[in-house]
Amino acid sequence: MAGEKAEKPDTKEKKPEAKKADAGNKAKKVKMVKKVKKGKPHCSRNPVLVRGIGRYSRSPDSRKVLKHARKLRASITPGTVLIILPGRHGGKRVVFLKQLGSGLLLVSGPLSLNRVPLRRTHQKFVIATSTKIDISGVKIPEHLTDTYFKKKKLHKPRHQEGEIFHTEREKYEITEQRKVDQKAVDSQMLRRIKAAPLFQGYLRSMFALTDGIYPHKVVF
Amino acid sequence: MASTPEKTKTKTNKEKHHTEMTYRRLWSKAIFAGYEQGLWNQREHPALLKTEGVCARDETELYLSKRCACVHKAKKNTVTTGGKSYKTRVIWGKITQAHGKCGTVWAKFQSNCPIRATGHSICVMQYRSRI
Repeated sequence: MAGEKAEKPDTKEKKPEAKKADAGNKAKKVKMVKKVKKGKPHCSRNPVLVRGIGRYSRSPDSRKVLKHARKLRASITPGTVLIILPGRHGGKRVVFLKQLGSGLLLVSGPLSLNRVPLRRTHQKFVIATSTKIDISGVKIPEHLTDTYFKKKKLHKPRHQEGEIFHTEREKYEITEQRKVDQKAVDSQMLRRIKAAPLFQGYLRSMFALTDGIYPHKVVF
Repeated sequence: MASTPEKTKTKTNKEKHHTEMTYRRLWSKAIFAGYEQGLWNQREHPALLKTEGVCARDETELYLSKRCACVHKAKKNTVTTGGKSYKTRVIWGKITQAHGKCGTVWAKFQSNCPIRATGHSICVMQYRSRI
C-alpha cells in the first residue's frame, strides 16, 4: 500500500504495513498495532524528509511504536486464567496479572503449581477463559517492567589464543532477584487460589484437545 | 508437590516423543482437501482444508487467521528451532477465509502444500487467538 506515513488508520484491519513504516526501528512484539495518524496535509513519501526522522534512525524519539495505544481484549482482566498456547508452556493455565507497557501480558503460574514463572506472553498466543480469580489486593512490584523481562543476550565465547576449545557458552541462570519477585507475587496469589475450591488443581492441569473436543464448540 | 518437567516444544517437533511428559495436542486436525479450483483449472496457492468437526460456514469463524502447519517427513534430518534435528519438516501457513457452506476453509502456506498431502492431516493451531 502506498503512502506509509499519511494513511488514515483503519480500525478493523490489522495492518502489517504499520511495521513497514517503522522498518528502521527494532522489531517489537506488538502485533495488533493501530497506526498513529499523522495529520500532515502534504505527505512526503520519502521517510527521510518526514519530520526530519531518518528511516534508519534508532533514536528513542523516533520509535513511533512506543506511542501506539496498547489494546487489551475485553476478555482479559487481571486475575483471568489464561491458557498459553505455543511454546514450552503450551497448554498450561496461568493467571494474568497485568499488561506491561509494551502490550505484553505479565502472567504467573504460580510457579509452584505449574512451573510457569513470572513471564511475559502475548495476547495473541493465549486463550482467555472465563474463570477469574480476585487479585485486587495483590501488589505487583513496580519494577516488573519490560526491561526487567527483556532477554539478556548470552555472550558467545570469543575465540582467544590457546582457549579455542575451552570456552563455554554463557548459560541462562535464574537471578536471585527473579526468585524474590516470584515469591513475593506468588505468595499473595496462592493465598487467594487456595481459598477458592478446586482452583489449585485447575491451574495444575493442562489444556489439551482430545477426540470429540472441537475448539469452536468449546466454551472457554 | 511434583513439579512438572518442562517440555521443549520446538516448531517441528510434532513427532510424539514420549520423553518426560505425555504428548498433548493443542492443535485441531484438518484434512488437506485439495487446491482452490474451478471446473478446469486449479490454483495451488489457496489450499482447501476441512477442519474436523466444522460443518457449517458460521462455525469456521473461530479458525480464521489461525496458523496451520503441514507436517511431513523427509529423508534427511533438518535442524529445527531448539537445536535438535529431525526428519520432520513443516510448512507453515494460515487460514485466510471460509469456503462454501460446509465448513471448508482456505489456507495459504508459505510454500504451497504438496499434492501428496491430499487427504492427510494438517495441524491447525489455536493461535493467533482472538478469544
